[in-house]
Amino acid sequence: MSGFAYVRARSVEEAASAVRELGPEAKLLAGGQSLLPLVNLGLARPAALVDIGGAEGLGEVERGNGTLRIGALVRHRILETSPVVADAQPLLTAAVGHVGSPRVRNRGTLGGSLCHADPSAELPLAMSVLEAEYEVTDGGGSRSIAAAAFAVSFFTTALSEGEILTHVRVPPAAPGTGWGFREMTRRAGDFAVVAAAAVATCREGIVESMRLGLAGVADRPTRCRAFEAEAPGTPVERLADLGDAVVADVDPPTDTAASGAYRTRLAHVLGVRAAADACARAMGRTP
Amino acid sequence: MTAHASADVSVTLTVNGRDVTRTRPAHVSLLRWLREAGFVDARLGCGEGVCGACTVLVDGAAVGSCLVLAVQVDGSEVRTAVGLSEDDGSVGALQRAFLHHGAVQCGFCTSGMLMAATELVERGEPLDRERVTAALEGNLCRCTGYDGIVEAILAVSGSGAPPA
Repeated sequence: MSGFAYVRARSVEEAASAVRELGPEAKLLAGGQSLLPLVNLGLARPAALVDIGGAEGLGEVERGNGTLRIGALVRHRILETSPVVADAQPLLTAAVGHVGSPRVRNRGTLGGSLCHADPSAELPLAMSVLEAEYEVTDGGGSRSIAAAAFAVSFFTTALSEGEILTHVRVPPAAPGTGWGFREMTRRAGDFAVVAAAAVATCREGIVESMRLGLAGVADRPTRCRAFEAEAPGTPVERLADLGDAVVADVDPPTDTAASGAYRTRLAHVLGVRAAADACARAMGRTP
Repeated sequence: MTAHASADVSVTLTVNGRDVTRTRPAHVSLLRWLREAGFVDARLGCGEGVCGACTVLVDGAAVGSCLVLAVQVDGSEVRTAVGLSEDDGSVGALQRAFLHHGAVQCGFCTSGMLMAATELVERGEPLDRERVTAALEGNLCRCTGYDGIVEAILAVSGSGAPPA
Protein backbone atom coordinates (compact mmCIF):
# COMPACT_ATOMS: atom_id res chain seq x y z
CA MET A 1 0.00 0.00 0.00
CA SER A 2 1.49 3.34 -0.97
CA GLY A 3 1.28 6.45 1.16
CA PHE A 4 -1.65 8.77 1.52
CA ALA A 5 -2.72 11.45 3.91
CA TYR A 6 -5.14 10.18 6.50
CA VAL A 7 -7.83 12.26 8.16
CA ARG A 8 -10.21 10.97 10.80
CA ALA A 9 -13.58 12.71 10.67
CA ARG A 10 -15.81 12.64 13.75
CA SER A 11 -18.89 13.91 11.93
CA VAL A 12 -20.34 14.25 8.46
CA GLU A 13 -19.61 17.97 8.60
CA GLU A 14 -15.94 17.33 9.39
CA ALA A 15 -15.71 14.80 6.59
CA ALA A 16 -17.33 17.17 4.11
CA SER A 17 -14.99 20.00 5.00
CA ALA A 18 -11.95 17.67 4.84
CA VAL A 19 -12.97 16.46 1.39
CA ARG A 20 -13.47 20.05 0.23
CA GLU A 21 -10.06 21.00 1.58
CA LEU A 22 -8.19 17.99 0.16
CA GLY A 23 -9.78 18.13 -3.27
CA PRO A 24 -10.84 15.50 -5.79
CA GLU A 25 -7.96 13.10 -5.04
CA ALA A 26 -9.36 12.51 -1.55
CA LYS A 27 -11.57 9.46 -1.00
CA LEU A 28 -13.95 8.69 1.83
CA LEU A 29 -13.08 5.56 3.80
CA ALA A 30 -15.83 3.74 5.69
CA GLY A 31 -15.43 -0.02 6.19
CA GLY A 32 -12.75 -0.15 3.49
CA GLN A 33 -13.84 -3.50 2.05
CA SER A 34 -14.19 -2.13 -1.49
CA LEU A 35 -11.62 0.66 -1.43
CA LEU A 36 -8.70 -1.03 0.33
CA PRO A 37 -8.52 -4.02 -2.05
CA LEU A 38 -8.21 -1.51 -4.90
CA VAL A 39 -5.52 0.37 -3.01
CA ASN A 40 -3.67 -2.88 -2.19
CA LEU A 41 -3.77 -3.90 -5.85
CA GLY A 42 -2.58 -0.46 -6.97
CA LEU A 43 -5.83 0.13 -8.89
CA ALA A 44 -6.67 3.17 -6.75
CA ARG A 45 -4.06 5.64 -5.55
CA PRO A 46 -5.93 8.20 -3.45
CA ALA A 47 -3.84 11.13 -2.26
CA ALA A 48 -5.84 11.24 0.94
CA LEU A 49 -8.32 9.08 2.81
CA VAL A 50 -10.96 10.74 4.95
CA ASP A 51 -12.00 8.09 7.47
CA ILE A 52 -15.69 8.60 8.13
CA GLY A 53 -15.97 5.25 9.94
CA GLY A 54 -16.24 6.83 13.37
CA ALA A 55 -18.67 9.62 12.43
CA GLU A 56 -21.61 10.01 14.78
CA GLY A 57 -25.20 9.35 13.86
CA LEU A 58 -24.82 7.15 10.79
CA GLY A 59 -24.88 3.72 12.42
CA GLU A 60 -28.56 3.23 13.23
CA VAL A 61 -31.37 1.18 11.75
CA GLU A 62 -34.65 2.93 12.54
CA ARG A 63 -38.25 2.26 11.66
CA GLY A 64 -40.77 5.03 12.01
CA ASN A 65 -43.22 7.14 10.04
CA GLY A 66 -43.73 4.29 7.59
CA THR A 67 -40.08 4.18 6.58
CA LEU A 68 -37.09 2.00 7.27
CA ARG A 69 -34.17 4.43 7.61
CA ILE A 70 -30.68 2.98 7.60
CA GLY A 71 -27.50 4.90 8.39
CA ALA A 72 -24.77 4.76 5.76
CA LEU A 73 -22.30 3.32 8.29
CA VAL A 74 -24.47 0.34 9.23
CA ARG A 75 -22.32 -2.70 8.67
CA HIS A 76 -23.55 -5.55 6.47
CA ARG A 77 -23.50 -7.92 9.43
CA ILE A 78 -25.86 -5.63 11.38
CA LEU A 79 -28.17 -5.34 8.39
CA GLU A 80 -28.08 -9.10 7.91
CA THR A 81 -29.02 -9.88 11.51
CA SER A 82 -31.41 -6.98 12.17
CA PRO A 83 -34.91 -8.20 13.08
CA VAL A 84 -36.22 -4.74 12.14
CA VAL A 85 -34.86 -5.10 8.60
CA ALA A 86 -36.02 -8.71 8.30
CA ASP A 87 -39.52 -7.66 9.31
CA ALA A 88 -39.74 -4.50 7.21
CA GLN A 89 -37.95 -5.56 4.06
CA PRO A 90 -36.79 -9.20 3.97
CA LEU A 91 -35.40 -8.80 0.43
CA LEU A 92 -32.70 -6.64 1.97
CA THR A 93 -31.83 -9.32 4.53
CA ALA A 94 -31.51 -11.88 1.74
CA ALA A 95 -29.48 -9.61 -0.53
CA VAL A 96 -26.95 -8.55 2.11
CA GLY A 97 -26.32 -12.18 3.03
CA HIS A 98 -24.79 -12.59 -0.43
CA VAL A 99 -22.31 -9.73 0.00
CA GLY A 100 -18.70 -10.94 0.15
CA SER A 101 -17.70 -13.28 2.96
CA PRO A 102 -18.68 -13.09 6.65
CA ARG A 103 -15.37 -11.28 7.23
CA VAL A 104 -16.23 -8.64 4.63
CA ARG A 105 -19.73 -8.27 6.10
CA ASN A 106 -18.23 -7.66 9.55
CA ARG A 107 -16.46 -4.53 8.27
CA GLY A 108 -18.22 -3.39 5.11
CA THR A 109 -20.93 -0.73 5.30
CA LEU A 110 -24.15 -0.11 3.41
CA GLY A 111 -23.07 3.38 2.35
CA GLY A 112 -19.66 2.15 1.25
CA SER A 113 -21.15 -0.52 -0.97
CA LEU A 114 -23.71 1.84 -2.52
CA CYS A 115 -21.13 4.56 -3.20
CA HIS A 116 -18.61 2.09 -4.61
CA ALA A 117 -21.34 1.34 -7.20
CA ASP A 118 -20.00 -1.96 -8.47
CA PRO A 119 -22.44 -2.96 -11.24
CA SER A 120 -22.55 -6.56 -9.93
CA ALA A 121 -23.14 -5.65 -6.28
CA GLU A 122 -26.20 -6.91 -4.44
CA LEU A 123 -27.20 -3.91 -2.33
CA PRO A 124 -27.48 -1.32 -5.13
CA LEU A 125 -29.67 -3.85 -6.96
CA ALA A 126 -31.91 -4.45 -3.95
CA MET A 127 -32.25 -0.71 -3.34
CA SER A 128 -33.20 -0.13 -6.96
CA VAL A 129 -35.96 -2.74 -6.80
CA LEU A 130 -37.16 -1.45 -3.42
CA GLU A 131 -37.18 2.12 -4.80
CA ALA A 132 -35.17 3.44 -1.89
CA GLU A 133 -34.25 7.10 -1.46
CA TYR A 134 -30.71 8.17 -0.60
CA GLU A 135 -30.13 11.16 1.70
CA VAL A 136 -26.94 13.02 0.82
CA THR A 137 -25.31 16.14 2.19
CA ASP A 138 -22.35 18.37 1.41
CA GLY A 139 -22.12 19.35 5.05
CA GLY A 140 -24.43 22.29 4.53
CA GLY A 141 -27.51 21.52 2.48
CA SER A 142 -28.92 18.07 1.86
CA ARG A 143 -30.93 16.45 -0.90
CA SER A 144 -32.51 13.16 -1.76
CA ILE A 145 -31.58 10.93 -4.72
CA ALA A 146 -33.72 8.02 -5.95
CA ALA A 147 -31.85 4.70 -5.91
CA ALA A 148 -32.50 4.26 -9.63
CA ALA A 149 -30.72 7.57 -10.34
CA PHE A 150 -27.82 7.05 -7.91
CA ALA A 151 -25.51 4.77 -9.88
CA VAL A 152 -24.81 6.46 -13.20
CA SER A 153 -22.15 4.11 -14.60
CA PHE A 154 -19.41 1.64 -13.58
CA PHE A 155 -18.21 2.68 -10.11
CA THR A 156 -19.72 6.15 -10.64
CA THR A 157 -22.56 7.78 -8.72
CA ALA A 158 -24.67 10.89 -8.97
CA LEU A 159 -22.92 12.35 -5.91
CA SER A 160 -21.38 15.74 -6.58
CA GLU A 161 -17.86 16.40 -5.44
CA GLY A 162 -17.87 16.72 -1.66
CA GLU A 163 -21.31 15.15 -1.21
CA ILE A 164 -21.67 12.32 1.30
CA LEU A 165 -24.37 9.64 1.53
CA THR A 166 -25.74 9.67 5.08
CA HIS A 167 -28.92 7.57 5.16
CA VAL A 168 -31.04 5.32 3.00
CA ARG A 169 -34.82 5.37 3.29
CA VAL A 170 -36.46 2.12 2.28
CA PRO A 171 -40.24 1.84 1.98
CA PRO A 172 -41.28 -1.23 4.02
CA ALA A 173 -42.89 -4.14 2.21
CA ALA A 174 -46.67 -3.81 1.98
CA PRO A 175 -48.62 -6.74 3.46
CA GLY A 176 -48.90 -9.60 0.98
CA THR A 177 -45.67 -8.68 -0.84
CA GLY A 178 -43.25 -11.48 -1.63
CA TRP A 179 -39.58 -11.24 -2.51
CA GLY A 180 -37.08 -13.23 -4.53
CA PHE A 181 -33.31 -13.00 -4.79
CA ARG A 182 -31.14 -15.23 -6.95
CA GLU A 183 -27.56 -14.95 -8.01
CA MET A 184 -24.88 -16.94 -9.72
CA THR A 185 -21.29 -16.68 -8.52
CA ARG A 186 -18.22 -18.54 -9.69
CA ARG A 187 -17.06 -19.05 -6.11
CA ALA A 188 -18.73 -18.43 -2.77
CA GLY A 189 -18.20 -14.80 -1.77
CA ASP A 190 -17.47 -13.54 -5.27
CA PHE A 191 -19.36 -10.73 -6.85
CA ALA A 192 -22.34 -12.11 -8.75
CA VAL A 193 -21.91 -12.81 -12.44
CA VAL A 194 -25.61 -11.97 -12.60
CA ALA A 195 -28.03 -11.32 -9.73
CA ALA A 196 -31.79 -10.88 -9.87
CA ALA A 197 -34.09 -9.33 -7.26
CA ALA A 198 -37.87 -9.21 -7.35
CA VAL A 199 -40.84 -8.10 -5.27
CA ALA A 200 -44.37 -9.05 -6.23
CA THR A 201 -47.96 -9.28 -5.11
CA CYS A 202 -50.42 -11.88 -6.36
CA ARG A 203 -54.15 -12.50 -6.19
CA GLU A 204 -55.64 -15.97 -6.61
CA GLY A 205 -52.61 -17.30 -8.43
CA ILE A 206 -52.37 -14.32 -10.79
CA VAL A 207 -49.54 -11.79 -10.66
CA GLU A 208 -50.92 -8.47 -9.48
CA SER A 209 -47.74 -6.35 -9.36
CA MET A 210 -44.13 -7.10 -10.19
CA ARG A 211 -40.78 -5.39 -9.86
CA LEU A 212 -37.66 -7.12 -11.15
CA GLY A 213 -34.09 -5.89 -11.35
CA LEU A 214 -30.80 -7.34 -12.53
CA ALA A 215 -27.17 -6.72 -11.60
CA GLY A 216 -24.19 -7.76 -13.70
CA VAL A 217 -25.81 -7.07 -17.07
CA ALA A 218 -24.97 -3.39 -17.51
CA ASP A 219 -22.90 -0.58 -16.02
CA ARG A 220 -25.42 -0.24 -13.15
CA PRO A 221 -28.44 -2.11 -11.74
CA THR A 222 -31.16 -2.44 -14.36
CA ARG A 223 -34.92 -2.72 -13.93
CA CYS A 224 -36.69 -5.11 -16.30
CA ARG A 225 -39.41 -2.69 -17.40
CA ALA A 226 -40.79 -4.87 -20.21
CA PHE A 227 -41.21 -7.82 -17.83
CA GLU A 228 -42.68 -5.60 -15.12
CA ALA A 229 -45.27 -4.34 -17.63
CA GLU A 230 -46.18 -7.79 -18.94
CA ALA A 231 -46.22 -9.80 -15.70
CA PRO A 232 -49.42 -8.40 -14.11
CA GLY A 233 -52.38 -10.58 -15.12
CA THR A 234 -50.16 -13.59 -15.82
CA PRO A 235 -50.81 -16.84 -13.93
CA VAL A 236 -47.85 -17.43 -11.63
CA GLU A 237 -47.08 -20.82 -13.19
CA ARG A 238 -46.79 -19.19 -16.62
CA LEU A 239 -44.13 -16.66 -15.58
CA ALA A 240 -41.44 -18.64 -17.39
CA ASP A 241 -43.20 -17.80 -20.67
CA LEU A 242 -42.16 -14.19 -20.11
CA GLY A 243 -38.45 -14.98 -19.90
CA ASP A 244 -37.69 -13.11 -23.11
CA ALA A 245 -39.22 -9.97 -21.58
CA VAL A 246 -36.74 -10.23 -18.68
CA VAL A 247 -33.85 -9.70 -21.07
CA ALA A 248 -35.64 -7.43 -23.55
CA ASP A 249 -33.81 -4.37 -22.25
CA VAL A 250 -30.36 -5.82 -21.58
CA ASP A 251 -27.30 -6.25 -23.76
CA PRO A 252 -24.57 -7.28 -21.32
CA PRO A 253 -20.91 -6.75 -22.13
CA THR A 254 -18.44 -9.59 -22.46
CA ASP A 255 -15.64 -9.46 -19.91
CA THR A 256 -13.19 -11.78 -18.20
CA ALA A 257 -15.89 -13.21 -15.92
CA ALA A 258 -18.44 -14.17 -18.57
CA SER A 259 -19.52 -13.63 -22.15
CA GLY A 260 -22.41 -11.31 -22.88
CA ALA A 261 -24.43 -14.24 -24.22
CA TYR A 262 -23.91 -16.23 -21.02
CA ARG A 263 -24.92 -13.25 -18.90
CA THR A 264 -28.07 -12.85 -20.98
CA ARG A 265 -28.91 -16.53 -20.47
CA LEU A 266 -28.28 -16.23 -16.73
CA ALA A 267 -30.45 -13.11 -16.56
CA HIS A 268 -33.25 -14.99 -18.32
CA VAL A 269 -33.12 -17.93 -15.92
CA LEU A 270 -32.41 -16.08 -12.67
CA GLY A 271 -34.89 -13.30 -13.45
CA VAL A 272 -37.74 -15.76 -13.93
CA ARG A 273 -36.74 -17.70 -10.80
CA ALA A 274 -36.51 -14.57 -8.64
CA ALA A 275 -39.93 -13.44 -9.91
CA ALA A 276 -41.42 -16.89 -9.26
CA ASP A 277 -39.91 -16.96 -5.75
CA ALA A 278 -41.43 -13.54 -5.05
CA CYS A 279 -44.86 -14.78 -6.18
CA ALA A 280 -44.56 -17.96 -4.12
CA ARG A 281 -43.79 -15.95 -0.99
CA ALA A 282 -46.56 -13.48 -1.80
CA MET A 283 -48.96 -16.44 -1.76
CA GLY A 284 -47.56 -17.65 1.57
CA ARG A 285 -45.62 -20.56 0.12
CA THR A 286 -41.98 -21.48 0.55
CA PRO A 287 -40.30 -21.30 -2.87
CA MET B 1 -10.45 16.36 13.01
CA THR B 2 -7.05 14.72 13.18
CA ALA B 3 -4.87 14.98 10.11
CA HIS B 4 -1.88 12.79 9.36
CA ALA B 5 -0.49 14.08 6.07
CA SER B 6 1.42 10.94 4.99
CA ALA B 7 2.74 11.06 8.52
CA ASP B 8 3.47 8.45 11.12
CA VAL B 9 0.70 7.75 13.56
CA SER B 10 0.81 6.14 16.93
CA VAL B 11 -1.57 3.20 17.25
CA THR B 12 -2.18 1.20 20.42
CA LEU B 13 -3.81 -2.19 20.21
CA THR B 14 -4.38 -4.85 22.83
CA VAL B 15 -3.04 -7.89 21.01
CA ASN B 16 -3.72 -11.25 22.65
CA GLY B 17 -4.17 -9.45 25.95
CA ARG B 18 -1.02 -7.32 25.75
CA ASP B 19 -0.98 -3.57 24.99
CA VAL B 20 1.25 -2.78 22.03
CA THR B 21 1.96 0.73 20.76
CA ARG B 22 3.74 1.36 17.49
CA THR B 23 4.23 4.48 15.41
CA ARG B 24 3.94 3.70 11.72
CA PRO B 25 2.69 5.51 8.60
CA ALA B 26 -1.11 5.83 8.39
CA HIS B 27 -1.31 3.61 5.32
CA VAL B 28 0.09 0.56 7.12
CA SER B 29 -2.46 -2.24 7.18
CA LEU B 30 -3.40 -3.99 10.39
CA LEU B 31 -1.76 -7.11 8.96
CA ARG B 32 1.57 -5.42 8.35
CA TRP B 33 1.37 -3.65 11.70
CA LEU B 34 0.84 -6.97 13.49
CA ARG B 35 3.56 -8.80 11.58
CA GLU B 36 6.07 -6.03 12.20
CA ALA B 37 5.18 -6.27 15.89
CA GLY B 38 6.01 -9.98 15.80
CA PHE B 39 2.53 -11.45 15.42
CA VAL B 40 3.51 -13.36 12.31
CA ASP B 41 0.77 -15.95 12.66
CA ALA B 42 -1.48 -13.55 10.70
CA ARG B 43 -0.43 -14.19 7.10
CA LEU B 44 -0.43 -12.30 3.83
CA GLY B 45 -2.05 -14.36 1.10
CA CYS B 46 -3.93 -12.48 -1.59
CA GLY B 47 -3.96 -8.93 -0.21
CA GLU B 48 -7.44 -8.34 -1.58
CA GLY B 49 -9.70 -9.95 1.01
CA VAL B 50 -10.39 -13.20 -0.80
CA CYS B 51 -8.20 -15.87 0.83
CA GLY B 52 -8.72 -15.29 4.56
CA ALA B 53 -5.14 -16.12 5.62
CA CYS B 54 -4.92 -12.75 7.39
CA THR B 55 -8.12 -13.21 9.44
CA VAL B 56 -7.88 -11.90 13.01
CA LEU B 57 -10.52 -10.88 15.53
CA VAL B 58 -11.00 -7.17 16.17
CA ASP B 59 -13.23 -6.62 19.20
CA GLY B 60 -14.52 -10.15 18.67
CA ALA B 61 -15.37 -9.82 14.97
CA ALA B 62 -13.40 -11.68 12.30
CA VAL B 63 -11.85 -9.24 9.84
CA GLY B 64 -9.35 -9.48 7.03
CA SER B 65 -6.39 -7.64 8.51
CA CYS B 66 -5.07 -6.85 5.03
CA LEU B 67 -8.24 -4.82 4.38
CA VAL B 68 -8.11 -2.76 7.55
CA LEU B 69 -5.69 0.05 8.31
CA ALA B 70 -4.18 -0.24 11.77
CA VAL B 71 -5.14 3.39 12.41
CA GLN B 72 -8.79 2.56 11.70
CA VAL B 73 -8.94 0.23 14.69
CA ASP B 74 -6.72 2.18 17.09
CA GLY B 75 -7.65 1.23 20.67
CA SER B 76 -9.24 -2.10 19.73
CA GLU B 77 -8.70 -5.54 21.14
CA VAL B 78 -7.10 -7.85 18.58
CA ARG B 79 -6.75 -11.61 18.79
CA THR B 80 -4.57 -13.77 16.58
CA ALA B 81 -4.19 -17.54 16.50
CA VAL B 82 -1.28 -17.46 18.94
CA GLY B 83 -3.70 -16.01 21.46
CA LEU B 84 -5.74 -19.22 21.38
CA SER B 85 -3.03 -21.06 23.31
CA GLU B 86 -3.50 -22.06 26.92
CA ASP B 87 -1.66 -20.08 29.60
CA ASP B 88 1.08 -22.75 29.77
CA GLY B 89 1.75 -22.32 26.05
CA SER B 90 0.09 -25.54 24.95
CA VAL B 91 -2.40 -25.37 22.09
CA GLY B 92 -6.04 -24.54 22.84
CA ALA B 93 -9.13 -26.70 22.36
CA LEU B 94 -9.85 -25.56 18.80
CA GLN B 95 -6.23 -26.05 17.77
CA ARG B 96 -6.21 -29.53 19.33
CA ALA B 97 -9.37 -30.39 17.40
CA PHE B 98 -7.71 -29.22 14.17
CA LEU B 99 -4.79 -31.55 14.87
CA HIS B 100 -7.03 -34.45 15.84
CA HIS B 101 -9.23 -34.13 12.72
CA GLY B 102 -6.42 -33.68 10.20
CA ALA B 103 -7.53 -30.08 9.55
CA VAL B 104 -3.96 -28.89 8.97
CA GLN B 105 -1.64 -29.73 6.14
CA CYS B 106 0.71 -27.01 4.88
CA GLY B 107 -0.62 -24.69 7.59
CA PHE B 108 -0.69 -21.45 5.65
CA CYS B 109 -4.46 -20.97 5.96
CA THR B 110 -4.66 -22.42 9.46
CA SER B 111 -4.37 -19.31 11.61
CA GLY B 112 -7.03 -17.55 9.53
CA MET B 113 -9.25 -20.64 9.67
CA LEU B 114 -8.82 -20.80 13.43
CA MET B 115 -9.87 -17.18 13.88
CA ALA B 116 -12.90 -17.44 11.58
CA ALA B 117 -13.85 -20.57 13.53
CA THR B 118 -13.26 -18.85 16.87
CA GLU B 119 -15.72 -16.09 16.03
CA LEU B 120 -18.27 -18.69 15.02
CA VAL B 121 -17.83 -20.94 18.06
CA GLU B 122 -17.79 -18.02 20.51
CA ARG B 123 -21.12 -16.80 19.18
CA GLY B 124 -22.48 -19.88 20.95
CA GLU B 125 -25.19 -20.65 18.42
CA PRO B 126 -25.97 -24.27 17.58
CA LEU B 127 -23.88 -25.31 14.59
CA ASP B 128 -24.34 -27.73 11.77
CA ARG B 129 -22.26 -28.47 8.69
CA GLU B 130 -24.07 -25.87 6.61
CA ARG B 131 -23.50 -23.06 9.12
CA VAL B 132 -19.83 -23.92 9.51
CA THR B 133 -19.36 -24.02 5.75
CA ALA B 134 -21.07 -20.63 5.39
CA ALA B 135 -18.86 -19.12 8.09
CA LEU B 136 -15.72 -20.37 6.32
CA GLU B 137 -16.84 -19.11 2.92
CA GLY B 138 -14.09 -16.50 2.91
CA ASN B 139 -11.24 -18.79 3.99
CA LEU B 140 -9.46 -20.81 1.34
CA CYS B 141 -7.51 -24.00 2.00
CA ARG B 142 -5.71 -25.65 -0.90
CA CYS B 143 -4.66 -28.81 0.97
CA THR B 144 -7.17 -30.45 3.25
CA GLY B 145 -10.38 -30.41 1.26
CA TYR B 146 -12.10 -28.69 4.22
CA ASP B 147 -13.74 -31.80 5.69
CA GLY B 148 -11.32 -32.06 8.58
CA ILE B 149 -11.68 -28.35 9.30
CA VAL B 150 -15.47 -28.57 9.42
CA GLU B 151 -15.33 -31.71 11.60
CA ALA B 152 -12.92 -30.05 14.01
CA ILE B 153 -15.16 -27.01 14.44
CA LEU B 154 -18.27 -29.14 14.91
CA ALA B 155 -16.43 -31.23 17.50
CA VAL B 156 -15.34 -28.20 19.52
CA SER B 157 -18.79 -26.64 19.41
CA GLY B 158 -20.25 -29.86 20.78
CA SER B 159 -22.22 -30.41 17.55
CA GLY B 160 -19.93 -33.01 16.00
CA ALA B 161 -19.73 -36.75 16.20
CA PRO B 162 -18.17 -37.94 19.46
CA PRO B 163 -14.50 -38.82 19.08
CA ALA B 164 -13.96 -42.45 18.11
